Amino acid sequence: MTARPGSAGIVARLRARYFRNAWDSTVSLICIAVIVTLAYRFIGWAILDGVWTARSASDCASKSAGACWAVLPARWRLILFGVYPFEMQWRPALGSLVLLIAAVLSCTPWFWRIARIVVLWVASFGAFVALMRGGFFGLPLISTENWGGLALTLFLFASLMVLGMPLATLLAIARQWGPRWLRVCVGVFIDLVRSVPLIAIMFGASLVLPLILPGWLSGDKLFRVILGFAAFFGAYQAELLRGGFQAIDKGQIEAARALGMRPWQFQLTVLIPQAFRLTMPQTVNQAVAGFKDTSYVAIVGFFDMTASASAALGTGDWALAFVEVYIVVALLYFVFAYSLSLYGASLERRMAAGQRR
Amino acid sequence: MTAVSGLAPGGDAENVPAVSMQGVHKWFGDFNVLRGIDLTVAKGERIVICGPSGSGKSTMIRCINRLEEHEQGRIFVDGIELTSELKRIDEVRREVGMVFQQFNLFPHLTILENCTLAPTWVRKMAKREARDVAMHYLARVKIPEQADKYPGQLSGGQQQRVAIARSLCMNPKIMLFDEPTSALDPEMVKEVLDTMISLAEDGMTMLCVTHEMGFARQVANRVVFMDAGQIVEEDAPDAFFGNPRHQRTRTFLSQVLH
Repeated sequence: MTARPGSAGIVARLRARYFRNAWDSTVSLICIAVIVTLAYRFIGWAILDGVWTARSASDCASKSAGACWAVLPARWRLILFGVYPFEMQWRPALGSLVLLIAAVLSCTPWFWRIARIVVLWVASFGAFVALMRGGFFGLPLISTENWGGLALTLFLFASLMVLGMPLATLLAIARQWGPRWLRVCVGVFIDLVRSVPLIAIMFGASLVLPLILPGWLSGDKLFRVILGFAAFFGAYQAELLRGGFQAIDKGQIEAARALGMRPWQFQLTVLIPQAFRLTMPQTVNQAVAGFKDTSYVAIVGFFDMTASASAALGTGDWALAFVEVYIVVALLYFVFAYSLSLYGASLERRMAAGQRR
Repeated sequence: MTAVSGLAPGGDAENVPAVSMQGVHKWFGDFNVLRGIDLTVAKGERIVICGPSGSGKSTMIRCINRLEEHEQGRIFVDGIELTSELKRIDEVRREVGMVFQQFNLFPHLTILENCTLAPTWVRKMAKREARDVAMHYLARVKIPEQADKYPGQLSGGQQQRVAIARSLCMNPKIMLFDEPTSALDPEMVKEVLDTMISLAEDGMTMLCVTHEMGFARQVANRVVFMDAGQIVEEDAPDAFFGNPRHQRTRTFLSQVLH
């Protein structure tokens, strides 16, 4: 067997990739210099000069010019749980854990059957709402206005996915293969929703909807906002999926019809799975964007993670430590968003497994 | 009147022809693609349909399982009249299997899943039974070892044989073939034709649109020549190839049999 030329050790590869000629080398050296300088300054500020114990931001400043990480032990509860009463904070903690476990389980193939996944999420949401809201078994009632922090962000995102994805699938199928009147209606709905900024939808859901609907139909403000959010997400995702449907070879529909399958049968088994495979990158995009968009609920008065962080800073002792707090919040968002991306990539690899010879 | 019972005319209940097309017309917009088709296929008969492209051959057989809707005339499949009634269409599609030029396998499912999909959903077969039926027909088309692979991992000839097995899993009485070997590399044409020949030898009623005249000579009971939406000539293969009656047939044969 002839060895592939040039596949020598690491030094040779680095040289080939970054130092191939004078121009490459110059640019590489400049980039390295910039990265090293920035890293040095950041590590200096964040780690070497960081203050881990202090009583307030000004106390931090008096100790050193570095990062005031002391804000975290003082304010972490607000960031994670919002304004939830202090002694009850085990409830959102447990609720968040339930949602995270449900999310992880949803990623395992065992749960990829409609009955099982429906049961999983109905149970998880039920548990979460029961825990957070309380009102029975001696758990004091805590209304949704007081839910907040990471727990609220997770709940918003989970609701968005669980409501928005099926909605998007139904809208996409209706618009692609429904009778004409349905296609027109769905088209109008999607275009309307896509033309309105998310903030306006949030306002509409929280302020305008109760004026229009009778009292018993209005429901809790949080749930109205979630519905509005899910409609927004569903409209965008529906168009993505429709693009996926259009990319499927029409011959497969003919084959399914020739085999005697009814439309709903081959939509479920042949078309939807393939549309999801085809649109996986865009769907991951939408999901990550959806996760970050949960911060919009701050506009209508909910204390999601970002708003809680702002509140944590407030105007008191720790107001000047805003950089540190926002870095932590950004890191938390990054952890979840990146996990979504990684999961999407692994799904893509799994789905492509059968396409390669 | 036969309209009441939906049975085809020209035979008692036991001797119903497999396919009966009477005065069938179809238009694509203003273009009259089928112009008065009259064709009767008895059970167990093998019909090869040939003709220049655009003559309506594919459209004609696609009308038989309602992938295309005929606009005038009547079509009876195994005694069931094809109308817009969904129930009738479902019944007919259960009796008729179709193999396409582009195979049309489901790429996201394994070979086995491709074959068990329709029996499970349409005939409500239990999983194990569907699996057994699928493995039986995969063995019949001589690729049982590929059951857990995906279509993308198979050659064209193998994919087409899977397509044949997939249709057979629904136990059809009639098989339609729409240019099954036209998209294959020459060395794979033989394996598919051999499969179709063995199917014919088992007594399957077959309607085959193809350019493979060797296959027609070997297997067909009748060869049908279509041109411009009409059946110009139909005859037994010996008579058809040896003594074509119409000039159009002769012209076509001279182009195809060089």
